[in-house]
Amino acid sequence: MREKKVVIEVGDGAAIPDPDDKGLFTAWRISFFGTIAIIVYLLVTKPDPYLDIIKFLPDGIVVTFKVTFASIGLALILGLIAGLGRISKNRWFNLAASTYIEVVRGIPLLVQLFYIYFALGHLIRVPDMVAAIIAMGFCYGAYMGEVFRAGINSIDDGQTEASLSLGFNRSQTMRYVILPQAWRTILPPVGNEFIALLKDTSLVSILAVSDILRRGREFASESFLYFETYTMVALIYLLITLVLSKLLSNMENRLSHYERR
Amino acid sequence: MNVVNPIITIRNVVKSFGAFLALDDVSLTVEPGQKVVVIGPSGSGKSTLLRTINQLEEISSGSIVVDGQEVSDPKNDINRIREEVGMVFQSFNLFRHKTVLENLTLAPIKLKKEPVKEAEKRAMELLDKVGMVDKATSFPVQLSVGQQQRVAIARALAMTPKIMLFDEPTSALDPEMIGEVLEVMVTLAREGMTMVVVTHEMGFAREVGDKVVFMDEGKIIEIASPDQFFDHPENDRTRKFLEQIL
Ligand SMILES: Nc1ncnc2c1ncn2[C@@H]1O[C@H](COP(=O)(O)OP(=O)(O)O)[C@@H](O)[C@H]1O
Ligand SMILES: [Mg+2]
Repeated sequence: MREKKVVIEVGDGAAIPDPDDKGLFTAWRISFFGTIAIIVYLLVTKPDPYLDIIKFLPDGIVVTFKVTFASIGLALILGLIAGLGRISKNRWFNLAASTYIEVVRGIPLLVQLFYIYFALGHLIRVPDMVAAIIAMGFCYGAYMGEVFRAGINSIDDGQTEASLSLGFNRSQTMRYVILPQAWRTILPPVGNEFIALLKDTSLVSILAVSDILRRGREFASESFLYFETYTMVALIYLLITLVLSKLLSNMENRLSHYERR
Repeated sequence: MNVVNPIITIRNVVKSFGAFLALDDVSLTVEPGQKVVVIGPSGSGKSTLLRTINQLEEISSGSIVVDGQEVSDPKNDINRIREEVGMVFQSFNLFRHKTVLENLTLAPIKLKKEPVKEAEKRAMELLDKVGMVDKATSFPVQLSVGQQQRVAIARALAMTPKIMLFDEPTSALDPEMIGEVLEVMVTLAREGMTMVVVTHEMGFAREVGDKVVFMDEGKIIEIASPDQFFDHPENDRTRKFLEQIL
């Protein structure tokens, strides 16, 4: 039986915890509990300044999450459209999607952020955060497009043929048969993109958006405690990405239920 | 001479892949209730012929009329025609993310807007027919290949097609599972289903076939009744092929 098997490369998101690793000392556990231990240690032994720093950050954490979730939502929509475009037989749709992906991937994210932020600012007045979200979503949508394309392509053609032979049209086939299956292949790389995006939102701190990093910078520039502040900022980012990667790997396990014998 | 309108009329069909002719001027008619068995060496165009009937493969020229509708005519809704033509594949192609029951109910619910309860009731009847009731809640990966193929037949039947196409339905099965699938197909044939079957199961061809079509290199070489075909083949190539496989 021919069955396409596509392995999608792990990107720069984070090491997704290996569900098959049943040992006591996994990389994830060491990092996770190590991070918590260091944060607790710092807070207990040096409440001044670490307690002040950590009290200053939650507003930034909320902003980081807002930007991340809104951007990933936009990126998923753009990614699905771009992915469908890349496999489309419609020449113009295909060309538009490919060009979008090509252009976005060729320009550094930070440059795109500046560009969309200021270009958009010229055309319409939108809040800083909205401009940042549009820029992040637009950029990550292109990467997501390639993930969707690979995920859709990983589904055996036989599934499409069976669906068509029953009377489903192409888009019904995509919706009822292909995407629900592709989602499972897509989830790990999407999770990676999600975590990578969360980290990349630190770039928006340059655009007057008060995320974790910007809050840290504000605190540091007033207190001159650069080392202590950025230590805490790094630990908070690490903690967040570790928790998210764990959640994602649990989700992955649940999604693959129908592959279990 | 009794005149029966054919339910499938294939006329002078050519299918090319680039310069290669997979079907080279093929003509064939199938009457309602007829069982046509297509045999021939690998690569002779059997699958391509079957797949042109429901337009999984677009024809390059010629005409295919299924139940009064020209399938290559863009004015006809190919999806509605496909609802009338069930297809069973060599590799089953069950929807891997759906349970056995959901595999049967998906199309009736979404396409025919059947109420869920009704669709499930009919699905269970069909599963009973193919002996798969106790696996209704299983996923395809949990089934043997023979069981998967029986479910695939039931899935196609769930759309109450007028015609069933089988493309080497037992070729991917372990020998001990071939019987259970053929049994289901024989039952279906007895009930009067119109069937076009690509197979190398000569016993099946003899038992249920009304006519046997022998293909080679994209052409139909011989069409005959099973007895005539197996006992007195007219063509040299047919004879050679039969010597090889019998
Ligand atoms: N999509 C395709 N592109 C190019 N050649 C094809 C394609 N599908 C089938 N063929 C060729 O057409 C010929 C007939 O194929 P097929 O109908 O599958 O033969 P059979 O089912 O009798 O073994 C083969 O030579 C095959 O390689
Ligand atoms: Mg074949």
